[in-house]
Amino acid sequence: MQLKKKVAPKKKSQPKKKIQVKKMQETTFTGKVTKIRQKEPATVIEWPRSLTHIHTYGMLSPFFEGLRKGELRATLCPNKNCPEKRLWIPPRAHCPDCHTEMTWKPLANPVIGKIYTFTEVVYAGTGIELSTPYWQVDVEIPGLATIPKSYLLYGKPYIGMKVKAEFRTKTPSNTVLDYYWVPYEE
Amino acid sequence: MITFKEGNLRVPKWNRRVFIVAGGTTAYKKNFPEYKLEELAMMAFKNMLEDNDLKMDPLEVKGLMNFAAYGEFADHFQDQLLCEAKIHDYLGLDPLHNLGIKTGGATGGSTVLTAAMAVASGYANVALAMGWERMDEVDTRTGNFYISTAACKDFETRLGRVYSSYYAPMANRFSEAFHVSEVTRAKIAVKNHLYACSSPYAQQAGKYTVEEVLSSPMSAYPLRFLECCAMSVGVACALVCDEETAYKLTDHPCELFICGGTHTLRVADRRHMEVPLLPHETPEMYKDLYKREGARYPGFESFLAARFAAWLVYRMAGIKNPLEDMDLVELHDAFTISDLQTYGDIGLRPYGQEQDYIESGDAYYINPNTGKPGKCPSNLSGGLIGTMHAVGATGIFQAAECLWQLQQKYDKFHGDPKIWKKWGKEKPKDWQSLQIPENSRQALWVSHAGVGSHVTVGILRKSW
Repeated sequence: MQLKKKVAPKKKSQPKKKIQVKKMQETTFTGKVTKIRQKEPATVIEWPRSLTHIHTYGMLSPFFEGLRKGELRATLCPNKNCPEKRLWIPPRAHCPDCHTEMTWKPLANPVIGKIYTFTEVVYAGTGIELSTPYWQVDVEIPGLATIPKSYLLYGKPYIGMKVKAEFRTKTPSNTVLDYYWVPYEE
Repeated sequence: MITFKEGNLRVPKWNRRVFIVAGGTTAYKKNFPEYKLEELAMMAFKNMLEDNDLKMDPLEVKGLMNFAAYGEFADHFQDQLLCEAKIHDYLGLDPLHNLGIKTGGATGGSTVLTAAMAVASGYANVALAMGWERMDEVDTRTGNFYISTAACKDFETRLGRVYSSYYAPMANRFSEAFHVSEVTRAKIAVKNHLYACSSPYAQQAGKYTVEEVLSSPMSAYPLRFLECCAMSVGVACALVCDEETAYKLTDHPCELFICGGTHTLRVADRRHMEVPLLPHETPEMYKDLYKREGARYPGFESFLAARFAAWLVYRMAGIKNPLEDMDLVELHDAFTISDLQTYGDIGLRPYGQEQDYIESGDAYYINPNTGKPGKCPSNLSGGLIGTMHAVGATGIFQAAECLWQLQQKYDKFHGDPKIWKKWGKEKPKDWQSLQIPENSRQALWVSHAGVGSHVTVGILRKSW
């Protein structure tokens, strides 16, 4: 694309009006100077962002309260006619099958589960709150319809391995990371 | 428990036939500082209008459009809400209406589906389906975090912040359940990186060995970097129209069939159910497969959304057996494992025997076992692993590749040295054509989101 030469605007023949400009407070630039990262093959600038979202746990708040108290709380559909009699973790406030509002049912400690599958997270995205590498595990828990995802605090997982739920009650993060699994031997 | 009632299983039926007549694309790059997004959109748009041998002047074709569907995966990446309005304005399409479409990795497929619905319903005779992604505004790890917000933010995102860590557990379960060696997965990566070597649009072309794939850095065990898709910048588009207009514009239109399916965002929540059977399947095929302790369908091994989309579109298009009826498939190989899983979902092999599609050589352009053409080659475009995953563009790029293959234009759109030069590359001296045979009739593509949250399966049928 070529830049055109500036052409001087034609002078208007209308009589000039005097505009009174009061010297008031000027608008000042209050931002930070945008850094130019590169100029070739095109100008590329940096655009910093820092954000805090205000996020509600809504009707699932009891689940996260439970974690702080060292308890896994599941939800259960109380509708006797509903075909789904099993528990839900992640919990749901409403049953997807019959839309009935669910009730809470804490799981009795110790909660023993079985590793359904797993991965070792080596390369994690920005903001990761666990030291890498770590073992992410999907655990079958008796009585649940679901196979929730969590992590193994130590040890090496295998499919079918028995594990026990533990909780970060002393310094809770107030997130799903407040429960995790450890190897369990009977 | 998922149970269906009659209306849930109604097979979609267009009110009138729908066709695709032209495709357009840019090259795909990790970083694309040369152009703004709308400039790339214009390049793909011009490619579609000017280079597809349409029988009308490009601006006359534009004069036939009255609707546009735009696919964009994530506002985070573009950092521009209502990006659709900017692109639409830049293409000079105001005040025609446009809709923004968002279904994660399946956004491209859903965009084509939206354009097709506009044509089938009579809202439009000619509709534009365009999709894009600009993923280079943030560094790779931040990009991975953005993508991981397409996992459940309360119960999954914090446990990985990278999407490979949501697919890797599926890979481990799949290997255990169906006794699959990681070598099979590596072969998929080798194949798709290799086919990308023939594409001037490709971002991750390379001639790798199985050993090189398996010794590449680990992302999330067992998925290595060379088994993962590209994070791309680029734009693709397709021109969707009714039958009368299709034949006015070209002597080589392809009829379009496309359906979608969805499933829970969290794999955790996928409860066991009966396998919905494809036209060529019988209940006996699966009577023992899900009887093992802990086994569930679709579980961590399969994608119900893909199976459901295939279930519908095969009935919509009258497909009896995909392996026999298709001459090419373009699958959503975001990871080697998701590609492998999909072979079962869309019936290229029965569930539990997915690996045979690769090991038999059916998936190759030239079957490595026989030296003859593969029965139903897969991802000759280079796929997401070899060529591109500018997410909103992907399902449209795949459709364009299927169209060009059926129109016998693979060489025109991949072998012209000018195209290579346009994107700052030199056509390789050992360039090989991957054109499918002239008697080919049908091609299928899969557009896939999340860990199988949304999937479309589209079919293009040669109609001349």
